[in-house]
Amino acid sequence: MTSLRRSREAEPLSANLSSKVYVRSTRSGKVQKIVREVYLRTDIPCSSRICRACLDRAPRNASQQVQPFVLSEKPAGTKAFPQGHYLVPDTNALLNAMDLFEQSTAFYDVIVLQTVLEELRNRSLPLYNRLIGLTRSEDKRFYVFFNDFRLETYVNREPKESVNDRNDRAVRQAVQWYGEHLAGTKAGKIPAVVMLSDDQENLRKARQQGLNAVSLREYVGTLQDGDKLLDMVAESQSQGGFKKLGQMLYPEFYSLSRMMTGVKAGLMHQGIFNVSPFNYLEGSIRVSAFSKPLLILGRESINRAVDGDVVVVELLPQDKWKAPSTKIVEEDAITKNENADAEDQGDLVSDKELKALQEEAKRTHKSGSESQPQPTAKVVGVVKRNWRQYVGHIDPSSANKSASSQGRKQDSVFLIPMDKKIPKIRLRTRQVSELLGKRLLVTIDAWERDSRHPVGHFVRSLGELETKAAETEALLLEWDVQYRPFPKTVLECLPKEGHDWRVPESMDDPGWRDREDLRGLLICSIDPPGCQDIDDALHARKLPNGNYQVGVHIADVSHFVKPANAMDTEASIRGTTVYLVDKRIDMLPMLLGTDLCSLKPYVERFAFSVLWELDEQASIVNVRFTKSVIKSREAFSYEQAQLRIDDASQQDDLTNGMRTLLALSRQLKKKRMDAGALSLSSPEIKVQMESETSDPVDVKTKQLLDTNSLVEEFMLFANISVAAKIYEAFPQTAILRRHGAPPKTNFDELADQLRVKRGLELRTDTSKALADSLDACVDSSEPFFNTLVRIMATRCMMSAEYFCSGTQAYPEFRHYGLASEIYTHFTSPIRRYADLVAHRQLAAAIGYEAVHPSVRSRGRLEAVCKNINVRHRNAQMAGRASIAYYVGQALKGRVAAEEDAFVIKIFSNGFVVLVPRFGIEGLIRLRDLAEPEPESEFDADSYTLVVTGSRSLTVELFQKVTVRVSDEKDERTGKRGVKMELVQA
Amino acid sequence: MATQTTLLSPAELAYLHNSLTLSPPIRPDGRTSTQFRPLTAETGILPGTNGSARVCFSDGTEAIVGVKAEIEKSDEVRDVDDTEGTANTSSSRAMRARGDWLEMAIEIPGQRDDEASKAFLAEMLREALLADREFSKRLYINRRFHWRLFLDVRSLQFEILDPAVRFVWTFCSDNGAAQILLISPPLSYPLPLLSLTTHLALLATRLPRLKSEGDEDPMFDDDWQSSTHLYPRDGAAVDDDSRPPITLLVVAVADNVIFDPSREELAVAETALAISVSEVRKSRDPAAGDMETDSKRQLRLLSMRTIDPPSRLTPPGVPHVSNVTSAAPASTTQTPGGQQSNEEGVWKAPVGGTKYAVLDGIMDIVLESGGVVDEILDGLEGVDLD
Repeated sequence: MTSLRRSREAEPLSANLSSKVYVRSTRSGKVQKIVREVYLRTDIPCSSRICRACLDRAPRNASQQVQPFVLSEKPAGTKAFPQGHYLVPDTNALLNAMDLFEQSTAFYDVIVLQTVLEELRNRSLPLYNRLIGLTRSEDKRFYVFFNDFRLETYVNREPKESVNDRNDRAVRQAVQWYGEHLAGTKAGKIPAVVMLSDDQENLRKARQQGLNAVSLREYVGTLQDGDKLLDMVAESQSQGGFKKLGQMLYPEFYSLSRMMTGVKAGLMHQGIFNVSPFNYLEGSIRVSAFSKPLLILGRESINRAVDGDVVVVELLPQDKWKAPSTKIVEEDAITKNENADAEDQGDLVSDKELKALQEEAKRTHKSGSESQPQPTAKVVGVVKRNWRQYVGHIDPSSANKSASSQGRKQDSVFLIPMDKKIPKIRLRTRQVSELLGKRLLVTIDAWERDSRHPVGHFVRSLGELETKAAETEALLLEWDVQYRPFPKTVLECLPKEGHDWRVPESMDDPGWRDREDLRGLLICSIDPPGCQDIDDALHARKLPNGNYQVGVHIADVSHFVKPANAMDTEASIRGTTVYLVDKRIDMLPMLLGTDLCSLKPYVERFAFSVLWELDEQASIVNVRFTKSVIKSREAFSYEQAQLRIDDASQQDDLTNGMRTLLALSRQLKKKRMDAGALSLSSPEIKVQMESETSDPVDVKTKQLLDTNSLVEEFMLFANISVAAKIYEAFPQTAILRRHGAPPKTNFDELADQLRVKRGLELRTDTSKALADSLDACVDSSEPFFNTLVRIMATRCMMSAEYFCSGTQAYPEFRHYGLASEIYTHFTSPIRRYADLVAHRQLAAAIGYEAVHPSVRSRGRLEAVCKNINVRHRNAQMAGRASIAYYVGQALKGRVAAEEDAFVIKIFSNGFVVLVPRFGIEGLIRLRDLAEPEPESEFDADSYTLVVTGSRSLTVELFQKVTVRVSDEKDERTGKRGVKMELVQA
Repeated sequence: MATQTTLLSPAELAYLHNSLTLSPPIRPDGRTSTQFRPLTAETGILPGTNGSARVCFSDGTEAIVGVKAEIEKSDEVRDVDDTEGTANTSSSRAMRARGDWLEMAIEIPGQRDDEASKAFLAEMLREALLADREFSKRLYINRRFHWRLFLDVRSLQFEILDPAVRFVWTFCSDNGAAQILLISPPLSYPLPLLSLTTHLALLATRLPRLKSEGDEDPMFDDDWQSSTHLYPRDGAAVDDDSRPPITLLVVAVADNVIFDPSREELAVAETALAISVSEVRKSRDPAAGDMETDSKRQLRLLSMRTIDPPSRLTPPGVPHVSNVTSAAPASTTQTPGGQQSNEEGVWKAPVGGTKYAVLDGIMDIVLESGGVVDEILDGLEGVDLD
């Protein structure tokens, strides 16, 4: 019997043919062997500017152009490589020190190997995306070299060789090839090719081969500010590291397959882990199997999950079910003075934590049947970490102990994140004294079973605490707001004329195609004072038949932002303009937002108009949509417009038009309210700034005028008309906005509170019933009570969201708050991306332009919706955080003011009050009331907290109290915030 | 398709038969009675499959086998939550393996898909595999999942006869149920070729490495190099060192037993048997240590089918004495049948069944250690896998 063995070399083309074999498991559970053939080429360029040979051979595109070469001909040198050097990092180097590569002081001319890039993508998607970002940036000169497709650098996997070893070998092979290849160029100064790795074995082998190989640590040490840079290396991999405890503190995670089996079988549940803002030891997770979120109590059950992670939980037995905590538990109070270096305090759950939890249990026991215990669960595994970069500051108490040691020694400190839901993070740094009192950006590297706290590393310092620049940047980072200047590619999409752009004079110009000339109409805009990005303008006039013509004219942004170009992509990522107290982070470049698109007065602008014919009762006779050219006659502020309307001596057509608008808007509002629209409330305040220094001087609640509601009504009206039109044209892909009816359970607590405390009934069956019962929630002695209830009701609502019409059934389109069957956003394309998409869809629906594929593809629209929903929420949060910061700043140094406040939430050891004048909330702890901490008895059923002992008083829900408001620097978050002291209950 | 006529005259048949009854038999191609036709083999020729093999006989016939494995949910899934309770009864697990875990398709050029002969061949190969309990044990993943194998067998340049089943006869061996089927005649049979190729393909078959444990939904390592062989190699689990079965075609002519018959030899065979044998390696004697790498192999008979040899349909020869043209007057005295049968040198198609003694003899030769099966298995072991 003969055995036939075919050798690779036997085939003539075998040299440039290879294959890659792997196993693919599909979602449906199939397991397939996949064989991919690899065709090796010899024309993949090295992309070094000193190399002529590659330039001649490099593949060309359709217009015979070669991709420009990336790597500099004169790269920076170091002590070891004075002739200049190119860096070739391996995967570990990138995993551990991506922050280093993003530095602007060093790390230029980097060759990213395909092997490394692919490995990185498998290990960490966020890091991969950051690396891709780096390769796109022109000044960093990162070049992706497809070594696995180049004949000379391709390596075959040896039998018994692990994938890692093979990849390491591929990296060394590529480094070697680069070295030899560059040497062959005969240039004057040939840069060294340096492999960067953290893998000792790989380094050793590379040196054996005679390659330049250095570890990250060595390399960074030779750089200028090496010490600072060293802190940016990820903690888990660094040498030395933290002292290992040896003892496992946390239960082990289940294997992925076990979790997936469990989730499929319904024995475990998957969801996003959320930490309670009042109790860092209490988390919750919403799963489809339960109407109420599952509670996760205690450090052990939370088991290293961090807020935002996708986790799998297992239900605890029913006798361990509990009611949600009524106690404020703050991490700093309990874990104060922990030593970051030594973790030998033994047990995972410290005595103090245990005590905090025990009181919990006692209370549940007592309260009996009234409050239903909620199901509790424990985390058994993390499916996906959602760690991002966190802003915080070093806990000074953790630094004190180690401050004595000076010099290059690394110290361990705790970083306290600004976000209270994030546990404190252990850091090692050589620059404690410099970093104390600064806002820092850090990342979490790992959270091992034997470590009480997660470990992370320092990324960069944002500046001194409480400086405006640092705090603003901090909150932008915390809410993931893209605030970097627009890149060059985006700015290139702007019209070449810049600010000199005008509406073309000749009506034959292509810009005028299918545009209606509405320059003759008396159009004006009404906006907040100082508004620069004017999205909308209005007009109304009486028609000969007695009806009214009303027009809403929206800036024609889609004329300037063409689909799928760089500017469009950037806008779709940003999603929305973010308004901070003193700053605006634009979605579109300034030139468009505040000039070319903005419907400024006295100049001609392109617009997208909605024109209705309305009768006296404000019912629609007909509606049409058209692209147009308008000329706004005046830009009013709400106040100016109101004054002008109220001034009876003004009888010009423009003012009368506004009066018509106002009259019609009242009718529209009435109709809306009759249909069951909710009038909800959230405290809105405005920080007044000193014009020169833009330092805050005062805080005021926003005043609402009739003209506010005038604009609002017509915008809603336009949005609804447009929504109906684009849905009719694109039943599957229209971009719409819905507001789901809140589940009844959301209102349970509030309804119970109102019933117990005030004997009021909150009906929530329909939005109409809710609106009516909210109207009935009045307290004759306290006019603010109704607003208070509305504020609290608002918090029970679902948040509205953008969606693509194909993803929901028609009844689900409903906008609960507005009581409208269908709704979209159309009226603010300068500051919201959804509106821009709606513009494009409407333009296609009226036959103005062809449908662009990106506006038609459902998958892409869903992705856009998902992103802008997140961005929208983040923008709101950032705005609120900004206000909170400035309120603190405005109060700074002032005499503490005594203000009325209302109790909105009660815990067993404190309560939360809302101060209407500032629109802010504050927590008042019992231990702040008097020294020593007074005794208290909390009745969860009647929402009453009776305080006895060192200070005696009774606090009830909805109670009006007087508090002294002053500013205070929050020790935990390092934020200057508002401190409230109870003056009188 | 009608019975393929043997293109041999009765005289040729008689001559062949005669030379095969000699001791030792003289085969037309000069082989010894246990010698196989020379063949070449290679594995891993189809990269997209889990395992594959190709075998060529020197006469130009060849076969290719590809094995594909898919994951399948087992039918009898009990509730997941009693995992701890009954999981330990591992002895019962193999019993659950079922016949439909293996699907076999044979393709022979020029034959219709629904050809009975193909179905029969496939069934014969499948039956041997399934009779080997070791095999279904290997496809077991956990109580909820198993592998399902798809064997695609392609024979090239081959024509076979249409077999028709005559009757079925089942008996029990001490290894459990094995089946013997008696069927009608093809000429030369692709069975040994297909069986050897299947054997090699299964030896070369690799399954992704299982990462999950117990009765969880299975998850696999995505690295193909870390995949494990369906039949682990030497040095792997000691108690788990069996090989896939092989099916041999054996004919008996008079008292001679001849392996791997050629088409002509089959035409004169009195008995044809398809015998499936599997190899079980006894775990090495710990005391013996590293005596020799090749431990003692134990053979196990899995199944046996008698195949109706085509010789039964051949026309009888006419003895010279009864030739009408040469000796006309004598013919009338002769009674038809009778003594005519035993005339030396005159071909007469064999009739009747196989004698137990012959069966015994065949089984002895097959199961004899160091015998022909050992030789074949040694030869197969010499084939490079992958």
